[in-house]
Amino acid sequence: MNQHLQQAGLKLFKLLARHGESLMHAYVNGKLDESKLDSKQIDALLKAGVIWRPSADEGLHLSSNLRSLLEEALSDTRNRQIDSNVGSRLETIKTLAAHYKEALHIGDLAAADVYLSDLSEHSYSLTESLRHSSRVLWSRINNEFGYVPSLSAKIRENELAQQQVSELLNSLALLNFDTLSQIAGDIRELRRILVLNLSQAVYDCTQELAVVQTRLLTLLGRFRELRGKSRLLKGLQLFHAQHPDFSPKDPTQQIDVASLFNQAPALLSKASVDIHNSEHEHDLLLSLSQLKLQRHTKVSETNTEHAVSLEGAEEFALQEQKIKQDVENYLLGVIESAAGQTALEYYQEQHLEWDAEAWLYQVWGSYHALPEEQRDYFALDPIEDPHPIFSGNRIVRDLQVWLR
Amino acid sequence: MSKLSATGMSETGRILEALLSGQFICQVSDEDGFHFLAEEVNRERIDSHLHVLNRRLASACEGELYFCAYRELGDNEHKVISQQFSEIAGSLLPLTEWLILSQEAQGQDSPISAGVALRLSELQTVVEDTPALREQLAKISQYKLFGSTSSQVDGQLKQVFKRLCEQGYLVRPNQEKQIYIATAKVDYIFEVISFIDEAEGLGLEQQAMDAIGQQEPLL
Repeated sequence: MNQHLQQAGLKLFKLLARHGESLMHAYVNGKLDESKLDSKQIDALLKAGVIWRPSADEGLHLSSNLRSLLEEALSDTRNRQIDSNVGSRLETIKTLAAHYKEALHIGDLAAADVYLSDLSEHSYSLTESLRHSSRVLWSRINNEFGYVPSLSAKIRENELAQQQVSELLNSLALLNFDTLSQIAGDIRELRRILVLNLSQAVYDCTQELAVVQTRLLTLLGRFRELRGKSRLLKGLQLFHAQHPDFSPKDPTQQIDVASLFNQAPALLSKASVDIHNSEHEHDLLLSLSQLKLQRHTKVSETNTEHAVSLEGAEEFALQEQKIKQDVENYLLGVIESAAGQTALEYYQEQHLEWDAEAWLYQVWGSYHALPEEQRDYFALDPIEDPHPIFSGNRIVRDLQVWLR
Repeated sequence: MSKLSATGMSETGRILEALLSGQFICQVSDEDGFHFLAEEVNRERIDSHLHVLNRRLASACEGELYFCAYRELGDNEHKVISQQFSEIAGSLLPLTEWLILSQEAQGQDSPISAGVALRLSELQTVVEDTPALREQLAKISQYKLFGSTSSQVDGQLKQVFKRLCEQGYLVRPNQEKQIYIATAKVDYIFEVISFIDEAEGLGLEQQAMDAIGQQEPLL
């Protein structure tokens, strides 16, 4: 390596390092803050080609090379630079290949070596720039053009990206492998650089760009959809402001109802308890214990009501005697006639005045109050009906006396 | 075959139950269910079960949302869906205004759609700091759909979000956090609006563009 070249390179890096802060300020804000630097420093930077002044009345800007270096290194998503100038690079490569072949032909191996390394440098930089272009596009897709705020700006950026993709694809079409292969001939080194490397890069890039293009289109579709939705909302709000009484025609009256409005109402309600499922026994018992509690409170309520109505104790006692007498008559009647008669039948026959339910209770109670030897003569069985709602419960409708 | 859940019910059964109880299934509201319904075979199975009840599996928003629809429409069914339509038509304005409010409060120019997260506390801060938004919220929260009686931004917002969750427009994945995620039912609202727009020839988008166009030269 040339000694001078190395020195100059190091000097440039040192210069950049010295002015790092001002240069970064210029990168972020677009212009160099000239008040922070003296004219000598500015001159040094201008001489090094790091900054430039577009015209006399404008500020100092970063050179495009330095800017793109920073964008690349910082993965700055604002990077819009896409180099689609494949044509001229290709021409350079072709020219270098011709130089190389000529050098080989005349046997100047040293020159051939230089041309070859130049050639591979160019070829690599071409493939690298192709890959860089698709990377830039991807990063823009992946953040969904988040570096511009509004949907319309995103749509414009997307359209720009699509244009860049088609330009890239067009220039990739310039890389004709038949020609490249002809140029390379049977020289192994040339084939490796021109055909193998380049063709692989172009193939990868074309594939990737096709994917990029679809993604861009999908994204554009979504942006437009969102913009449409946004406008719909705004429009509806405006419309309602102008027509507060507006109510849309009912589309469900048409024969062919749009599926959008054909929505069946909720149908399911909770499932019922299955008392025969042994797995649920525990849970059911738990709920049952809660049920009982509620029943108790109910019963106690009716008791207090009764307590109020039981005030005339003597009257009640007299009546009790009378009802007991009636029951006795009933039971005796049945035994004497030896014919079956239910308690209610007797009740109706005798036109008794008691409450029918109290009557049945009294019959049942009196029977069980009898001494055992008397009770053995006959049996008293309830006539029952199943409860209409609570399965398993039975209601005593009447009582039947049987002679044993 | 569909796998069994913790209660022993198959995925088919679970989804049938959800559909028959009037739920909308999308990727946000029920991710497993949505993936289940993404399979053609499963959709057919669900549909054949629903067939018995004069119902079918319907989808909206380009397959992002599933719900239960009537198979055949008789007089009764017409009555039911007609009532549903008047309900949804009645809640369009409150929903629209809410969507605009939350879009503006988030400082975005794209409206809320399925999967977008809304942070109640952030919205609250913005609304409280912006008198115009505060007024708008007070108006929105009093619509019958939301029915808030609160005079505070905090109470109004919470009531609005509660009602939106009940109606299935938002879900709250973590009960301890005030983060809500929009379901595809929000997108459904847009379909309804654009249906009405087309059916009635309202030209809503054009109106909005005209309004924006009138504003721009002033700026």
